[in-house]
Amino acid sequence: MRWIHRLAPETAATADVVGGKAHGLILLSRLGLPVPAGFVIGTEACRVYLRDGRLPAGLGAELAAAIAGLESGTGRTFGGPRRPLAVSVRSGAAQSMPGMMTTILNVGLTAAATAGLTGDARFARDARRRFEAGFAAATGDRPVPDDAMGQLELAVAAVFSSWNTPRARTYRELHGIRHDLGTAVIVQAMVFGNRDQQSGSGVAFSRDPNTGEPTPYGEVLFGHQGEDVVSGTAHTHPLPELAGREPAVWAGLRAAMRRVEEQYRDACYLEFTYEAGELWLLQVRPGRFAGPAAVRLATDLADEGLIGRAEAVLRVSPRHLRHTRRLAAAGDVFARGLGACPGAAAGRVATTADRACRMAADGPVILIRPETSPVDLPGLAAAAGVVTARGGPASHAAVVARAMGKPAVVGVAGLTVADGTVRAGGRTIPEGTSIAIDGTSGLVVLGSPPMTTTAADPHRHRLLRWADEISGDASPRPDADRLGAAHRHLTGDQENQSP
Amino acid sequence: MTSLVVLHALRCVGFADLPRLAAATGLDPADVESELIDLAVAGQVTRTAGAFGGWGLTEAGRAADAERIAAELDAAGARPAVAGAYDRFLVLNPELLDLCTAWQLRSADGTLTPNDHTDAGYDARVLDRFTDFDRRAEAVCAELAAALPRFGRYRVRLAGALARARSGELDFLTDNLASYHIVWFQLHEDLLATLGIPR
Repeated sequence: MRWIHRLAPETAATADVVGGKAHGLILLSRLGLPVPAGFVIGTEACRVYLRDGRLPAGLGAELAAAIAGLESGTGRTFGGPRRPLAVSVRSGAAQSMPGMMTTILNVGLTAAATAGLTGDARFARDARRRFEAGFAAATGDRPVPDDAMGQLELAVAAVFSSWNTPRARTYRELHGIRHDLGTAVIVQAMVFGNRDQQSGSGVAFSRDPNTGEPTPYGEVLFGHQGEDVVSGTAHTHPLPELAGREPAVWAGLRAAMRRVEEQYRDACYLEFTYEAGELWLLQVRPGRFAGPAAVRLATDLADEGLIGRAEAVLRVSPRHLRHTRRLAAAGDVFARGLGACPGAAAGRVATTADRACRMAADGPVILIRPETSPVDLPGLAAAAGVVTARGGPASHAAVVARAMGKPAVVGVAGLTVADGTVRAGGRTIPEGTSIAIDGTSGLVVLGSPPMTTTAADPHRHRLLRWADEISGDASPRPDADRLGAAHRHLTGDQENQSP
Repeated sequence: MTSLVVLHALRCVGFADLPRLAAATGLDPADVESELIDLAVAGQVTRTAGAFGGWGLTEAGRAADAERIAAELDAAGARPAVAGAYDRFLVLNPELLDLCTAWQLRSADGTLTPNDHTDAGYDARVLDRFTDFDRRAEAVCAELAAALPRFGRYRVRLAGALARARSGELDFLTDNLASYHIVWFQLHEDLLATLGIPR
C-alpha cells in the first residue's frame, strides 16, 4: 500500500512517515505488547489532502482494504450489526502537538452497529452518543452518514484539516515545527474502558515523575474511558489501586513498563485501557522527567546498568539543577492536580477572594477556587498560592498565577468548593485548614509539611561527583558549571571519536 | 446609561480602584467616581479599604447588573449576534492562553522554566504570534461592537496593550493588570455575564 502502514512489528517506517504516536505503537507491537489492531495513514496523505483539498486518489481503496484486514483480524464487521467493529481515529504528527488536533472515537457505529453492540443497551447508547459528539466537534454540524466507510473518510479528512487550525499553526510557530509536515492518522479497533466493571483506563509512568523514585506512578479510572476525566464525570484513583482490583492487568502493565524501559533505557509513559480484564496499550513515549526527578532517574538508571555514568551525566541538563522550592515529602495527600507555576507554599485555606484578602492579614493563605474569574484577582494577589479544580497549565488562573509568581496547582479533578468547605477524594476540609501545595508536582497536602530546595539531594551529589570525574576538575564552583564542564568534555570527545 | 457602564465594568473587572475603572470604561475618572457614589448609595457597590482594597459589587449590585445587562441585550435584539461571537471567542480563547503560557514559560530539555526575556529572538516570535492572533481577535471584537457598542472598548484596550508590549513594555502581554491577557479575561467574563452563562 502506498498511503497506509500496518501497526505491526514488520513496519519499518520512520516517525516522519507515520508520526511519533504510531511509531511508538509499532515499537510496542515489536516488543510483543498488546496494541489494538490498526493501521496508520502516513503524513504524505495529509500533505496531499492539504494541497488538493481532498483525500488522495487511491486512499479510499486502501482504506477499504485496510478495514477488511481489520475485520478479518478481529472477526468483526465494520458498521455491521453482527459483532460490530468500531474504530478510533487519532492524529499523530512526527513531533508531538498535544491537544492541538482532532480525535474521533467510535467511528463506524452506524444505527445497525449500535444496535448490534452486545452487552447492555445503555453502553451502546453511550458509545453512539460519544461518537456523535466527537464527529460533530470535528466536522462542524454536518449530518452523520449512516455508512461506516463514509464516516471513516470524513473522520480522516477532519483530522487532516485539524493540522491547520489557527491554534495548531500558532503552536508550531512557537515550537519551531514546520507547517508543511502534516499529521498521520491512526485508525485502531476501539477498546472500551467503560465496557463493564472489569474495564477501565489510565496513564502510567514507570517511575514517579515528581521524584524519580522507581515506583510506578499514574492514575486509573475504573469503569470509564479516559476522556471522562475531562468532562468531570469520573474521578481518578492513584495507579497502585489497580493492583488490588485487577491483579492480572496490573502485572501486565508492570511487565510492559519494564520491557519498554529496557528498550528506551529510560523511564516511560504509557496510556492504557483494559476491557473485560484485558490490557491494551494506546500510547508510549519516554518519561521526560525534569528537575530532581531527572537527576534521580539518571543515577538510578546508571546503578541499574541500563546506561553508563557518562550517559547519566549527559542526560541531566544544567536547567534541571535549578533550585525550586518543593514539598520535601508527600505527607497526607489531600488532592492532586497539575503544577502550573513552580514553587511551594503553605497556608490556611480560603475559598473566596474576599476571605483570602481578609485572612491574609493574619498569615499566609492558599486560595482554592473551582476556577478563577476576574473577581478572584485580589484574592490571588493576597494569597501565597492558588488551587483551582478546573483548567490546565494554560488557563486564566495559571497565567495570572505565573504573572504574580504564586505557586499554583490547577486541574484538580474531583475537587469541589461549597459553603466554605473544600471536598476531594471523599474528605472535606473547612476554610482555615492548614495545607501546603507544590506547584511543580501538583500535590495538595494537609498540614504544614517541610519544604526543601534541591541542594541537599544525595543523588545530585553523586551525579556531580561523576561529572567532576569526567571533567577532571573537582574545584569548588556552582553545580551547573560542574555539569556543564562534563558535558563539554563528553560531547567534545564524541566529536573527536566520530568517523 | 453611564451608571450601567460603570456597574457592568465593575462586574467584569471584578474589583478595582478608580483609575482602573476609568481605563476599563474610557470615562473620565471624576464621572466614574460620581456614578460609584450613586451606586454605593443604592447599595450596589461598596468600597473596601486596605492593601487589597478597592471598589466591588455587592450581591444586590450583581443581581441588578444581571437584570439590566440582559434587558440591554434583548432591547438591542443582540442576543443571537453576541452568542455567535461568543462561539468564535471560545475558539480563540485556548490559543490566547497557549500564547500567554509561551510568553511566560519556555520549554527546554523537557522542563518548563520562566521566560527571562533574555532571548530577543524568542520574544519576537511570540510577539509576532500575538500580533497575528490579534487580527483574528479584532474580527470577533468588531462583531461584538456591531451588536452592542459598549464592547468596542475591548478593541481599544486590547490594541493598546499589544502596542505597548510591541514598543518594549513587556509586561503588557500577561503580567500587569492592564495586560492583553487581563483585558481578554475580562472580555471572557463580560460575555459570560452578558449571556447569563454561569462559569
